Amino acid sequence: MPWVGFVPGIGIFTVFVLGPAIAIAVVSLTNLSGTPNVPWEWVGLDNYRRFFLGQWDDNARVLMRTLQFVLVLSVVQSAIALGIAVLLNGRLRGRTIVRSLVFLPTVLGVVVIALTFSLFFQPNRGPAASIVESFGVSTAFFGDPNISFALVIGVQMWTGMGYAMMILLAGLQTIPGELYEAARCDGAGAWTRFRHVTWPMIAPAITVNTLIAIIGSMQTYQLIYVLTGGRFETSVLALEVFTEAFGGDGSGGGSTRQGYAAALSMLQFFLVLIVSMVALRFLRRREVQL
Amino acid sequence: MTTIQLRARANARANRRRTGSRLGRTGAYVVLVLTALVWLVPLLYLVNTAFKSQDEFLADPTGLASTVSLDSFVQAWQTGGFSTYVLNSIGYVLLSATVMVVLSLLIAFPIARRYIRWSDAWYRLFVISMFLPNALVTQFQLILWLGLYDTRIAYVLLMTAGFGLGPFLITGYLRSVPTDLDEAAGMDGCGYFRYLFTIIAPLAKPVLVTVFIFQAINVWNDIIIATVVLADPARFPISRGLFAFFGTYGNQSAQLAAATLMVAAPLVLLYAALQKHIVAGAIGGALK
Repeated sequence: MPWVGFVPGIGIFTVFVLGPAIAIAVVSLTNLSGTPNVPWEWVGLDNYRRFFLGQWDDNARVLMRTLQFVLVLSVVQSAIALGIAVLLNGRLRGRTIVRSLVFLPTVLGVVVIALTFSLFFQPNRGPAASIVESFGVSTAFFGDPNISFALVIGVQMWTGMGYAMMILLAGLQTIPGELYEAARCDGAGAWTRFRHVTWPMIAPAITVNTLIAIIGSMQTYQLIYVLTGGRFETSVLALEVFTEAFGGDGSGGGSTRQGYAAALSMLQFFLVLIVSMVALRFLRRREVQL
Repeated sequence: MTTIQLRARANARANRRRTGSRLGRTGAYVVLVLTALVWLVPLLYLVNTAFKSQDEFLADPTGLASTVSLDSFVQAWQTGGFSTYVLNSIGYVLLSATVMVVLSLLIAFPIARRYIRWSDAWYRLFVISMFLPNALVTQFQLILWLGLYDTRIAYVLLMTAGFGLGPFLITGYLRSVPTDLDEAAGMDGCGYFRYLFTIIAPLAKPVLVTVFIFQAINVWNDIIIATVVLADPARFPISRGLFAFFGTYGNQSAQLAAATLMVAAPLVLLYAALQKHIVAGAIGGALK
């Protein structure tokens, strides 16, 4: 009986998720296109060769951006989230409201968030434009290649901050209050208490949070897709996978290169694996040292 | 759970005894207010714009809405064809979230109880699935091959099959439900499915509700799977519809803000009502 109930769920999971994920490796060796009924052939490692030898300059920029994206959204975001979490863990009026507010974007969809910020950063009209214009500066914001990637990262942080903050807050709340009491009796100031009580005790939560941030930020592209479509120097590897496979305008047809997209997907998979392994080793060593 | 709560309470008590310097407290409040503003201002601007007419917006984009005008909502709803999208999404949400919760329970229970072979391996499989390569290309090809491209069933299938953390969270919860009940039920000759859905399901209600809400939010917010398998706007779910509206009427800022707010409103209300469930579910996976 348990098997009878188990099979349908595992069945659709295997057929529609697990199978396709494994088949990506096979498709990455073909020149499959997104147009139905177009013949395809095996091309060996051509797709991978094309990535590294074809337009390497463009691809290197995408890879650099991907690493910047991951670095900022794991390290900088975690640091800010820890700051907010420590602040909200104290006894301040209105802290529950602020906590709810920062976490709110977790439930909002990428389209809602992207359109909210498109309006806010609307060139010439939006509030951001009137602020920078008062300094005599004019910019197209998301349409300005010099700053659009930084803005995209900012919006991504705005979206993910609440989640990181909640994990760290949960970690902070497991630290026994007696430890702070003891530290206070020894005459420890606020910074010393943070450095010698909070910081070592919060290490496991930071490990979890940073790993989730690394994996999440390497796989996410939906927000960039809606904000800029990858134009204005904002594309990252995960978005390249999507736009190569289904086109930037989302029409699905046209000259989509799904074999090449599958190869990019595999490269992304290995990159996620390597970066998270390195990060895990680093974080575990740090945990032990403390 | 209770020990954590106790500790949290003890912490709160300890914190209350804390008497930070006055300067430190003022600084803390300044940072608190700044943080709130960063998250609040973009949303308030959205709300403010939504309640303007396009003319009023063009005359003074950043000024406060002079009247509460619902014109932009009405116009956006009609020109964008949002009634179709809303109905589609309600259907997709209910179907996908219900099926996903039922299938997740059917998967999670035997894993939690080790009633099937390789329970641990199955359990890990759902965690590993988060790290697998992006499979949109092969999912799209599979749907084409099955002749299901641009059908509602393809959309619901792909949305539901991405179980995410559902089975994982339910398994974790069921491990805390005592097994004595299983044995008693077995002696009574109570059927497996009847037992699972009439005895276990009510006991696991909090986690089932959490998983349902998460899947509902997921489906309401999805644009990617909709872009990959649906071509006809008549079948679009709401977020995909909003994106299409942005593509066509992107310069109508007031209507765009109104449409965005309409899509966001149910989520904000749900969040306001069920915040505890949502927070617990969101970070539950991370803490295990």
